[in-house]
Amino acid sequence: MGTNLVKFSRDTVRDVQQVARGWRWGRRPQVPRSAEPYVIPRETTVFPTKWARTPAAIAVREVLLKGALNSVMRYEVNPQVSGLDSLTKVHGPAVIVANHSSHLDTPLVLCTLPDAMRRKTAVAAAADYFFDTWWRATASAIMFNTFPIERRGGKLSQTPGDLLEDGWNVVVFPEGTRSPDGWMERFRMGAAYIAVEHGVPVIPVGIKGSFAAMPRGRGWPVPGRPTVAVRYGDPIYPLEGETPREFAPRISAAVSALLDEEATTWWEARRRVAAGTSPAQTGPDAARWRRVWESTTPIKPAASKRRAWK
Amino acid sequence: MARPGFVLEVDDRTPPLLVHNGEGFKLERFPLGTRVIYPPEALPPVRDVEEAIQNALLNPLESEPLPELLFAGMRLTIAFDDISIPLPPMKKPDIRQRIIEAVLTMAADAGVDDVELISANALHRRLTPNELRDIVGERVFRSFFPDGKLYNFDAEDAANLTHLGQTKHGEDVEISKRAAESDLLVYVNVNLVAMDGGHKSTSIGLASYKSLKHHHNSHTMIHSRSFMDHKASKMHESAWRMGSVLTEHVKVFQIETSLNNDIFGGPLEFLQKREWEWSIKDQASMLATKRGLDLAPAKMRHKIFTDVRSNYGLTGIHAGKIEPVHDKTLENVHRQHLVEVQGQSDVAIMGVPFIGPYNVNSVMNPILAACMGLGYYFNSYRGSPVVRKDGAVILYHPVDYEFSQLHHPSYVDFFEEVLSESTDPATIEAKFEKQYAEDPWYIHLYRTSYAYHGVHPFYMWYWISHALDHCGDIVWVGGNRKTVERMGFRSASTLQDALEMVSHSVGRSPSITYLHNPPHLLADVR
Repeated sequence: MGTNLVKFSRDTVRDVQQVARGWRWGRRPQVPRSAEPYVIPRETTVFPTKWARTPAAIAVREVLLKGALNSVMRYEVNPQVSGLDSLTKVHGPAVIVANHSSHLDTPLVLCTLPDAMRRKTAVAAAADYFFDTWWRATASAIMFNTFPIERRGGKLSQTPGDLLEDGWNVVVFPEGTRSPDGWMERFRMGAAYIAVEHGVPVIPVGIKGSFAAMPRGRGWPVPGRPTVAVRYGDPIYPLEGETPREFAPRISAAVSALLDEEATTWWEARRRVAAGTSPAQTGPDAARWRRVWESTTPIKPAASKRRAWK
Repeated sequence: MARPGFVLEVDDRTPPLLVHNGEGFKLERFPLGTRVIYPPEALPPVRDVEEAIQNALLNPLESEPLPELLFAGMRLTIAFDDISIPLPPMKKPDIRQRIIEAVLTMAADAGVDDVELISANALHRRLTPNELRDIVGERVFRSFFPDGKLYNFDAEDAANLTHLGQTKHGEDVEISKRAAESDLLVYVNVNLVAMDGGHKSTSIGLASYKSLKHHHNSHTMIHSRSFMDHKASKMHESAWRMGSVLTEHVKVFQIETSLNNDIFGGPLEFLQKREWEWSIKDQASMLATKRGLDLAPAKMRHKIFTDVRSNYGLTGIHAGKIEPVHDKTLENVHRQHLVEVQGQSDVAIMGVPFIGPYNVNSVMNPILAACMGLGYYFNSYRGSPVVRKDGAVILYHPVDYEFSQLHHPSYVDFFEEVLSESTDPATIEAKFEKQYAEDPWYIHLYRTSYAYHGVHPFYMWYWISHALDHCGDIVWVGGNRKTVERMGFRSASTLQDALEMVSHSVGRSPSITYLHNPPHLLADVR
């Protein structure tokens, strides 16, 4: 009997471990590649996030972001922020648009924004990714003030407009998902549509180095405290009569120019913009490894302590 | 909306996959690149079954409506498929009950007095009264069984058999006398898989050994490629020829039904879900079931599986002349089961489940396990077998040395006496079949007890003759070594061992296909 019980317990542990590993307990479940065409899109339910913008939630978030996340992030990566003076040119709510290649991007933007602006900033997050379970939705809403947005086409959530009307800034990553190789993907129309519809400016943000620091598939930054550059640009306003379709390329170009500026100088980047010769930030048309290689070129050697002697 | 079946290619994202393994199941990690054939999801069922039945009976295909065929003073016989289908058995009310009640209501309205109901069990075991009641329902059972008007077909009752003639190939057509002499024979069918129905219903279900031996033999079976495709099956060709003779003498009103793949419900629902879509609840159900089964004594485990009843939804019902009805039925069956598969593979893997057609309310003995895997699952194809010629088949089943003396007495002797001498279907057919078929004790048990006919284990062995001829290697994972060896196969402890054992014939990096059934599928191999 005793032996049987031991065997049963051992087998139970083995089975539970097999299921925990196979179904990735605690992590996002995966669909085999060949089964992806047969996945039924989940019907996303609207998760209420209004509570995340109450004074109490803002206070809790302030502690979490500034007290905990900011410290951990600056311990693990070396953020280099520039262009913050551009933000002084904005009065009132704006759509903050950035390229997206890592889960670091949202905390990078939030932790580098001026305090007053950050407290009035919400983040558009994919409904199918961040709002698929209640606990993930709650955690992201309290931490980053996220609200769900449909990224797989269809009608836009009403929430971004409501937030802008209420004086909130909205962070949008128009690529819809993280870049698979660190290079910019095509910008979708959502951000431009919101800005045009509500007559608010767009603040472009160029983020470089976050892919190298924490690419897709990683849950924590790579060791070595890599440098990540966050560059804010001057706000751009939709012109009179400009449609989202016309405005979207201007946003994309502004972000591209910021990334170019990161690689060169503000002046060179300006001249190239004027001449229409800004390099595309979509990367070289080459094998994936070369694209990844190129996009992960260190911005500068990882910060290291000076040696006592040379 | 039901999703179609598809072929998965195992990659690094694929969780362990479920493999049926007798009265239990395993989670198996297949080598990367393994193709896994998933059946289509359950089709949406017919909403109003009663209306569909009425519609089929009143608007038959190439036949007068049923009420016009019924008249006072006639002899009406209703034959129905026995307990071997559907698998697992259906939750009450059985579709046969609903149809038979509709037919009897019309017969009563027409003033028909002489009605008999026959379970078309051919050489299968007799159904117990309870089993008959489960199929036809309480009302029908109470009305007909006490008077002996609801009964099992007896293929050894020479006085109640009629020889209708021979086909042009010299095949005897001998069926139930009552059916042969009826003014109308209504056959109520359940077409679970593509093999069932058509002329196979009456020509086989109500036939004697004299008639059955013309197509239930090793030669015919080896050339039935496969018997899930009646146009490519010698067995069906023979049945169709017999059907032509039969319908010259008997007016048959065929009622065929097709069911969807909604087989496992409740806590076992995870068995018909795609693994990567298992919710936390499904994972917990699977773990609880698996651990519970490991802990449960064999009897309890057996009872758990014996008690499984399936929801099944009706996907179609057609009535009238046999051929057009069967064509329509097959359309529905194919809609539910067909999965397109590109090309054959070196190795086919199949998990033999707890139930087959011949162990309902009984145990799956080694011969039935072989028949289920190498007969039914191997033949679940259209075009070419899933595995290439001289490829390997790997099956999962414990293959315990376990027989029901009540249901399968001749199987025990077949296993001990016949298989110890030869496993070649043609050899054992020539040497032993007649002796078993005519053994008075087996005949007595078949007629008076609940035993399968003495010749039935031979048929099971012929059923696998195509697989034996086609495959180079057959290995059972987790199979009892002695029983597996007796049947001429080999046993391996794990899938890795099995692949190692077959590597001499298929190489070290074979292409592998796993048939993920049940629920049922039919691989359309291109």
